[in-house]
Amino acid sequence: MSVSREEVLRIAQLAELDVEKEALPELVDNMSRIIDYVAQLSAVPANGTVKVFVPGPDAIRFRADEVTPAHLAFGPAEFAPDFKEGFFVVPKLGQFE
Amino acid sequence: MSSSWETIIGLETHVQLRTKSKMFCGCATAFGAPPNTQVCPVCLGLPGALPMPNGAAIGLAVRAALALGCTVHPKSVFARKNYFYPDLPKGYQISQFDQPLATNGTLSFLAPERGIVTAGVVRLHLEEDAGKSIHDRFPKATAVDLNRSGVPLIEIVGGPDLRSPAEARAYLQTLKQLLEYIGISDCDMEKGSLRVDANVSVRRAGETALNTRTEVKNINSFAFVEKALTVERDRQIALIESGGAVTQQTMLYDSKENAVRPQRSKEESHDYRYFPEPDLPPLVLTPEFVAEQQSALPELPAAKRDRFVATYALSREHATVVTSNRAVADYYENVVRAGAEPQAAANWVMTEALADAKDHQEQLRVAPGALAQIVALVKGGTLSHQAAKKVFGEVAAKGGEPRTIAEALGLIQVADSNVVAGWVTDVLGAHASEVGRYKSGETKLMAFFVGQVMRASKGKADPKLAQRVLEEKLTAS
Amino acid sequence: MSDAKAVADRLVKAKRLNALLTPPKDLRKSLAIQEAAARPTGVLYGMPVAVKDNICTLEFTTTCGSRILEGYRSPYEATAVAKLKTAGALIAGKTNCDEFAMGSSTEHSAYGRVLHPLDKARVPGGSSGGSAALVAAGAVPAALGSETGGSVRQPAAFCGVVGIKPTYGRVSRYGLVAFGSSLDQIGVFGRSVHDAARVLSVISGRDPRDSTCEDRDPLRLPTVPESLQGFVIGLPKEYFPPELDPAVRRACDRAVRLMKELGAAVREVSLPHTPYAVPTYYVIAPAEASSNLARYDCVRYGPRFDGRVDLRGLYRSTRGQGFGPEVRRRILVGTYVLSAGYYDAYYKRAQQMRALIAQDFRNAFDRGVDLLFTPTVPSPAFKAGEKLSDPIAMYMSDIFTVTANLAGLPAMSLPIGRIKGLPLGGQLVGQAFLEDEMIEAAYALERVVPATDEA
Ligand SMILES: [Zn+2]
Repeated sequence: MSVSREEVLRIAQLAELDVEKEALPELVDNMSRIIDYVAQLSAVPANGTVKVFVPGPDAIRFRADEVTPAHLAFGPAEFAPDFKEGFFVVPKLGQFE
Repeated sequence: MSSSWETIIGLETHVQLRTKSKMFCGCATAFGAPPNTQVCPVCLGLPGALPMPNGAAIGLAVRAALALGCTVHPKSVFARKNYFYPDLPKGYQISQFDQPLATNGTLSFLAPERGIVTAGVVRLHLEEDAGKSIHDRFPKATAVDLNRSGVPLIEIVGGPDLRSPAEARAYLQTLKQLLEYIGISDCDMEKGSLRVDANVSVRRAGETALNTRTEVKNINSFAFVEKALTVERDRQIALIESGGAVTQQTMLYDSKENAVRPQRSKEESHDYRYFPEPDLPPLVLTPEFVAEQQSALPELPAAKRDRFVATYALSREHATVVTSNRAVADYYENVVRAGAEPQAAANWVMTEALADAKDHQEQLRVAPGALAQIVALVKGGTLSHQAAKKVFGEVAAKGGEPRTIAEALGLIQVADSNVVAGWVTDVLGAHASEVGRYKSGETKLMAFFVGQVMRASKGKADPKLAQRVLEEKLTAS
Repeated sequence: MSDAKAVADRLVKAKRLNALLTPPKDLRKSLAIQEAAARPTGVLYGMPVAVKDNICTLEFTTTCGSRILEGYRSPYEATAVAKLKTAGALIAGKTNCDEFAMGSSTEHSAYGRVLHPLDKARVPGGSSGGSAALVAAGAVPAALGSETGGSVRQPAAFCGVVGIKPTYGRVSRYGLVAFGSSLDQIGVFGRSVHDAARVLSVISGRDPRDSTCEDRDPLRLPTVPESLQGFVIGLPKEYFPPELDPAVRRACDRAVRLMKELGAAVREVSLPHTPYAVPTYYVIAPAEASSNLARYDCVRYGPRFDGRVDLRGLYRSTRGQGFGPEVRRRILVGTYVLSAGYYDAYYKRAQQMRALIAQDFRNAFDRGVDLLFTPTVPSPAFKAGEKLSDPIAMYMSDIFTVTANLAGLPAMSLPIGRIKGLPLGGQLVGQAFLEDEMIEAAYALERVVPATDEA
């Protein structure tokens, strides 16, 4: 296994995803196989001079500094799971500050 | 205890750019709107929305970089900084990482202990602000307002070149002054448009290696910069002296307690997984664009100060005060241009004008031409200094022409020697015993007589003339 | 009977495919409203176009085939959708897809798998399987899909319809729910090359809301050519490996022979980095996806799967339950390859490999080749469940399509025959922003390939 159980759990925490205990062994196995599979890229002789390829325009276009908010057909109160007095409401942050 | 210790401080300053619209969308940036009313698909992080960069924000960032003497890179790259927080709508902040807008600048400032210090600016990059989490609005819940989400910021990362909390304060003051000068931000810490985090470490005097540092956050007012850093420095020194070791962590400053406490750490360390923002092509700046920003820069404070010393023969200290603020410097020059003698004009600006402004929402209420006239009236002997201050106050409060006001208030100095002689005669007649003492050699009583004449004339007598007449009469009789 | 009603009837008739996520009632109601509002002067006036459920519409919910967006209504619409409406088209409901477009079979939808119109035991391909199936079933003449690694071309091949992925930057991505932002493009399905191409032409062109969309005029439609005289077609040898399904090879050989008969010059070329395309793709796409899918945190929209009091717990339960297994897997892989200590070994390496893959194409085109021709997929539609337990086997069905996404090039699939009743697709890959040449060749080939015959 190229990816350990602990690593999967650490990554899941970073990605804010619950991983069920029963699903963990299969996930570790899948992740390992995928990582092993993509690891063949590192076997290619590294060529530090390769310029990164980015599709699309070569340069950013600038927007004019004008107040032109994109239209919302309806406001946040219509799609938010909890919206009170103009605010999105979430449970307290727990171990965050 | 701190004499054998050296403090190493580097500041990371976030500055909100003065734009009408946000960094990546057309929403307004105006402060104080009702929550979640200045939002759109982009700054709400709705599925499918994409960023579109604000050219004005990029221009202002380039101006800041140029003013700090940075190398502005013709090509820089936006990157995503990934982390979860309820006021970070996309789950990442669009920032810049390994290819920032500008690097390698400097900021010179007057350090209280070391004189002129040139601190390094490691990098300056563009990013978007997060929204606001409000923890005391609802019980057991956090309220999120995304009006601020996507507001343009620059982050200025200073080198570890500051050696005391007072120096950090002076650096920040100078930085703020510079940024206000070039008009890229209102730099209001209370409104959050200037925010500062500090990296702090200590080492024994003579050591050269850097020790483990902490990051001090939540310094949300200018007044707290020095206090917060002093508290943290003292904490680190005490810790090491008692045999402990500093651990790398984030400390939050509590201004009520004047104390720092460690941020309750999340179980995993920060791993922001930066990678190039695929929704934005590279930020390419043409030489013309950079030149345009350069030409939009006004004279910078240091250059202006040097020029004031050279042109107006002001002392360095006076020039520093007069140029501390661009509006004040412009005001001073207008007063001089209106005909005031430069040193006298500086004295008036530094004292009466600034004091009045401080009490009146930073408004310089007396027009430059009027102040120049007041200065001239004093110089010409028409107004005493005391009377001139009164006139200044009147003009500030009600406007009008200084001379007319002085006349209306009866403050014009009486320079007619016959009139003054009348007051002198009255005074000498009323103080026969003092006259005797003067004549027997107690000449320091002259000041007393002058004062009495001023009193008798209700301040209108020209004091120099009064003294001359007094001398004449006291020696003659 | 009004057009809107006929359109709705045809779509409802195809219900058994589970290709449409829009409930019939909503569909009928909206189509009637849209028909009344449609501009008769538009070039697509009255044409029903079904839209993949990862493209934002005001008329219908946009769930991306995911529980985490169950019932989500977008308060704005995608630029492509707005352009369709301006052209008079009718948005004919939202089509089922692999969750967040991650998959090659449309089995990874929270709303059930889509059936292949010709064999219900098989998959229609994916991730735009719903759009492909509806077009193949004759329910709509055209549909929008999206591509990240072949999600239009592969299901087009499996279902026997035309599927076009334009050049990266040809069509605005504004309102397309992001999966792999540097790879994503909205693509189109059509019963014919012409149907697909005219829809593409309408949705293409500049958009001030997408920085990655090129500042270009919309695509101009070519006319149907008399011959392929002057065309040089390259056959990349890496796309015809010895182990290729013989039926696929026979169908390709026949298509090549037909193109030659039409006057095209054909030559073999090499794209040497092709073997690394799939691993490159499976680093870059999940990396971008892990970041793009961070916004589904149930703070601003989407349902909450809670039961826990603190926010972090809510994040984890919502994201853990709201995302399906394939999406979770890719978020984890993407998070892993971007995390401290692995970035250089995986992400950076993949970026470099991507550059080499793009260079391969430039080299081929620089040597005078106008277009490349390859099989779209190594095999015809596979059976449902066949590749579910083996993610890498599933990924390999993208082997011939991911390269065009990595290189940002236009590519399309069109039917080139059948094996045991199952359609086979041939792929044309064009040069950046030369969709017109690619479509011209497709017009010519489409006229001569007997799509219904066994190859
Ligand atoms: Zn906005």
